[in-house]
Amino acid sequence: VDEKTRRAAAAAGCPHALAGLPDDGTQLQPSPTLRELRANGPATPMRYTGDQLGWFITDYELAKRALADERLTIKSERFPERQGEHPRANTPDDLHTQMDEQAMESLSAANVLGMDGPQHDKIRRAMITRFMVKAVRGRRAEVRAIVDRQLERLLSLGSPADITSQYARPVSAYVHCLVLGVPERFVEGYVADYEESPFQTQFELVREVVAEKAQNLGEDALSDLLRAGLTDRETEGAAWMLMSVGRDNVERMISTMMVALLSHPDQLALLQHDPALLPGAVEEILRYGNPFLGLLVRTATEDVTIENFAAEAGQSVSVSAVAANRDPHRFDDPDRFDVTRDAFGHLGFGFGPHSCVGQQLARVEIQEAVGALVRTLPQVRLLHAEQLEPMALASPIGLHDTGTVLVEW
Amino acid sequence: MLAIYGRWTSTEGSRVKIDVSKESCVGAGQCALVAEEIFDQDDDGIVVLLDETPGAELQPLARRAAALCPARAISIRE
Repeated sequence: VDEKTRRAAAAAGCPHALAGLPDDGTQLQPSPTLRELRANGPATPMRYTGDQLGWFITDYELAKRALADERLTIKSERFPERQGEHPRANTPDDLHTQMDEQAMESLSAANVLGMDGPQHDKIRRAMITRFMVKAVRGRRAEVRAIVDRQLERLLSLGSPADITSQYARPVSAYVHCLVLGVPERFVEGYVADYEESPFQTQFELVREVVAEKAQNLGEDALSDLLRAGLTDRETEGAAWMLMSVGRDNVERMISTMMVALLSHPDQLALLQHDPALLPGAVEEILRYGNPFLGLLVRTATEDVTIENFAAEAGQSVSVSAVAANRDPHRFDDPDRFDVTRDAFGHLGFGFGPHSCVGQQLARVEIQEAVGALVRTLPQVRLLHAEQLEPMALASPIGLHDTGTVLVEW
Repeated sequence: MLAIYGRWTSTEGSRVKIDVSKESCVGAGQCALVAEEIFDQDDDGIVVLLDETPGAELQPLARRAAALCPARAISIRE
C-alpha cells in the first residue's frame, strides 16, 4: 500500500480528525489542545464546511513553509467546522449577499486576500508605498498627536473606561484615515460607523471618498491607488480593502497588549523602567497575544507535499498563528510573556505573499498607543477583560475576539 | 552554537554575497526594519540592496533579514 493510499484510508476513517477549531482558549491562554496537537505532529486533519476533510497546521516551520507555498492558494470557499458551544460569526458569504453588482466586480478585481498571481501582485504593489518603513517613520509624530488627543479624551471621560472602544478603536481608525488620506469631512463618520456598517454601505462611502480624492490627490495611500493606472473597479475594490482591513487588528493588539501588561505587573514594570524595550515588547505581544487561531484558509491547487505533510488537491489548509507562535522548537518557554525576548519571526502578520501590508504602521501605532498610556497612567489597573475567558470567535477562520477591557485609574 | 559564533568572529576576511529578488518582494519592509545598513525600500516600497557584500559585523543582520523576509526574496551566498 503506497503512502497516498494509506493517508487516504486514514483520513476516511480519521478517528483523530478535529471536528473543528479548538476554540476553548483565548489569545492569551490558548486552547491546551494546540499543545497536544503540535506534540503529535506538524498538522492535524480537521473537518471543514461541506463535510470536507482538510488540515490544521500547528508547527512553526511547516506554518511558514505552507504560507510561502504558491501551490496553496488563498482562494477558498470553506471554513473550519464549528466546535464547542460558541456561535459562528457571519461568514463573508452572508455579507456578500448585501452587495450590489459593481461592488462584487470591484472585489473580484481587487480582493488581494482572495487571489494569487499577477493580479494580486499588481493590486498589492499599488497599495504598499505608504506603509514602507521610511514612510511610516515620517508619520510617527502625527500618530503620536492622534494618540495624545485620544488619551486626553479618555481622561476626560473618566475612570473606569473601556480601552477597546474608548481608546484602541479611535486611535486605530484616525491613524487609518491619516495614512489613507480619507478626506476630512468623511473622517468622523468613518471612525464612528464604518466598521459596523453592511458591506454595501461601506462601498457607497468608498465611492464617495474615491470620487472626492480624485479631485484632490495628496501624499497618501488612496491617492497612490488613483495614480497607479488601475481600472475604476480595481481602484474601488482596492480602496475598500484599504479602508476595511487592518484597523480592527491594530485595535485588537493595543487592547490585548494592555491586558497582558496589566496582568503581568513585572513585565509592565520593566517597560515603564526602560521605554527602549517598547518595540521588542510589541513584537512579543504580536507573538504571545496573537488572535489568529487560524489564518485565512488556503486550498491545495495540486497534491502538495512539504516534508512529511501531504495535502491532496482541493483540500483546505488552516495555519494556526497562535499555535506556531508558541512552538517550543522556535521560541524558548513559549507560554511565558517576556517583553525582553527577541520575538521577531512570529507569524503575527502572517508570512508569504499575503503577509500584512500595513505591518510597519501597525507596529508604530501599537508602540505609540500603549507607550503613551502606560506613561501617562502608571497607576492604571485592570478591572475586567472579556478576552480572559473564551469568547465567540470573531470570524469563522478562527479569530479570537477582543471584547471590552475595563480599566480604572 | 559556540562553533557558529566562533565562525562569526573569525570571518573578517570571509565574503558573502547578497542577492535580492525585486520580483518576489512583497514590500513588507522587514529587511529595512531590522537591517537598515544593508536594505532599503524604493519609492514603490520594493527592496533596494545597499550593501551587496557586507563585512563580517553586518552579516548576522543580513541573515536575520533573510530569515524574516516573508517573500523569501533575500538570498545569501557564501
